[in-house]
Amino acid sequence: MTHQKRKTLRNWLLFIIAMVVVFFLGLLASSITERKAEAMFVYSPEVEIGDFEPRNEVWGENFPMEYETYKKTSDSSYKSKYNGNTMIDMLEVDPRLVVLWAGYGFSKDYNQGRGHSYAVIDARNTLRTGGPLKDDEGPMPTTCWTCKGPDVPRVMNDDGIAEFYMGKWARLGAEIVNSIGCADCHDAKTMNLKITRPALIEAFERRGKDINEATHQEMRSLVCAQCHVEYYFNKNIVEGSAYLAFPWDYGTSVEEMEKYYDDMGFKDWTHKLSRAPMLKAQHPGYEVYLTGVHADRGVSCADCHMPYISEGGQKFTDHHIQSPLNNIANSCQVCHREETQKLIDNVYERQDQILGNRDKLEELIVRAHVEAKFAWDNGATEEQMKDILQGIRHSQWRWDYAASSHGGSFHSPVEISRVVSTGITIAQETRIKLARLLADLGHNIAIPYPDISTKAKAQEFIGMDAEKLKNEKEVFLQTIVPEWVKIAEERENGWSVKYL
Amino acid sequence: MESYNSQRSVYGKFKVVLIILAGMIVGLFAFNVYVSNAVSYLSDDPGTCMNCHIMAPQYATWNHSSHREVANCNDCHVPHNNVFNKYYFKGKDGLRHASIFTMRAEPQVIFIKEEGKEVVYNNCIRCHSEEIIDPRIEAKVDNYMHILDNRYCWDCHREVPHGRVNSLSSVPYARVPVPESNVPAWINKITK
Repeated sequence: MTHQKRKTLRNWLLFIIAMVVVFFLGLLASSITERKAEAMFVYSPEVEIGDFEPRNEVWGENFPMEYETYKKTSDSSYKSKYNGNTMIDMLEVDPRLVVLWAGYGFSKDYNQGRGHSYAVIDARNTLRTGGPLKDDEGPMPTTCWTCKGPDVPRVMNDDGIAEFYMGKWARLGAEIVNSIGCADCHDAKTMNLKITRPALIEAFERRGKDINEATHQEMRSLVCAQCHVEYYFNKNIVEGSAYLAFPWDYGTSVEEMEKYYDDMGFKDWTHKLSRAPMLKAQHPGYEVYLTGVHADRGVSCADCHMPYISEGGQKFTDHHIQSPLNNIANSCQVCHREETQKLIDNVYERQDQILGNRDKLEELIVRAHVEAKFAWDNGATEEQMKDILQGIRHSQWRWDYAASSHGGSFHSPVEISRVVSTGITIAQETRIKLARLLADLGHNIAIPYPDISTKAKAQEFIGMDAEKLKNEKEVFLQTIVPEWVKIAEERENGWSVKYL
Repeated sequence: MESYNSQRSVYGKFKVVLIILAGMIVGLFAFNVYVSNAVSYLSDDPGTCMNCHIMAPQYATWNHSSHREVANCNDCHVPHNNVFNKYYFKGKDGLRHASIFTMRAEPQVIFIKEEGKEVVYNNCIRCHSEEIIDPRIEAKVDNYMHILDNRYCWDCHREVPHGRVNSLSSVPYARVPVPESNVPAWINKITK
């Protein structure tokens, strides 16, 4: 073999060896990456979660994907046509609400709510909770904390259920500090969905149903139904306790709940103008959803508000609970093939059409309140007013059922239309009675509609001192809230987290 | 002659390094062909589409449909009017898919594109033409062909063949072929 030939052979050998070495190094690298990837599919808990652990960030150590998406509920940038997660002053948008709720907390302050992570902060900030400077001051009972976060089951477990509902709202200010999160819906050991609020369990029991029989798919709505329902405070169950209860004994339709309240002679407040015994519909989101076509087909709340997502081949539930309008792809389009804009238009069309009639009903009820006040002022008797006040109660209950169910006009457009139209009928029947009564009293003329074109004018019309409320709130936020936060911090610093 | 010689000597000095570098580049290329299952893309095996795990719902739904017996992915999703068009379309669509998957830019709900719809539609007709066109009706009904041709087959046959629930998460527990490990058994033994 010549020198030149040997050299060529050597070069080829070098080339092939380099090729083979790189190839096998690659295989080795693959093996390492695979082994590393295996770890990602093994559930590796970081901490031990206690039974009543209220701190969402502690749960987040074990469930980073769920926690990361949950944290997005603090994003307040999305605005749909009517709602979204931005704070909107609804009394400013629609000052008639002030008149409808005259004499009740909602006439002070009512905002479009933000995401779950603001539950505690927004409860402190709203004028409805007042400016209590002591534990036993303020307009609201402790019961108002019930839906605000995972400290609630903890305190209920420590103090007892009826005891939780005792006293004023300010009493538990230093206890309820973590906003709605993990322990509100999950079992700490199994991570199964869990009902943590007694009111829902008790409402099921009174109807002879066992909530433990619920399927997983039903639970994906029932955990929401712990709070997104119509409720009231029953003061007759336990002495001194504003006991949270759902009016579901006859059923969950607008008439069945109305009958429940009428039978027990319950009222939320007496209207400041008309003196009608009023009902405040809270937010019968779950009840309205039950009557809709999506519920009929077995779609749960979570299917649209917390759709499944896949990342890196792992399926999990998106804990960024929000309007599906902000996430059409993962919610609607899983089943519906239509374009995003088309689906959004379909929702807005239902909202627009129902709002048209609801607006009309709202105006009729404002007129009825003003006319009833005029009748009182001109010597009407209790006997003459009885039916009229009942009519006002029933029509505004229907209006509020439609309005406060928020997504109702999409969740169940046919039912909400029906409820609004029965409300209009009752309101007009009532106003016919009012017209006859006023004629009897010698006033056969139209009563002028008040100038309530802004929130300020409307609040002035019902005789509310909004400035005073704001000043009280300011003092409370400056002095009391920092104390609450400090006490809570000290308490939580005393709890150890067990790292595994 | 002087400069030519000096160039030769520079080349000679680094010759070994250059040869090894060239070997590494070719080796790496071969390795990538191997780990990406590149050769499988020339086949019609539906398992190939499962090189990307996000295709699991499409694979699982097809695998439970009657089409499984007679048609694979390519029978419906690439054109069959001529062989050049088939591989052109397959290459174009495949590269788009691969790029999206690599960049993790896949949507949670995958929609078929206009171009893909046309291909599938023509493939429905390719196999089912005898069931679609009835010469007796065609003879009697005006605009028969127009009426027949103004919608997609699946506007009515909505379950065919992938079902109606579309999401990366729609079949979380389905048994689908996943890409086999690229690591040979003997390396696993050594590194165990």
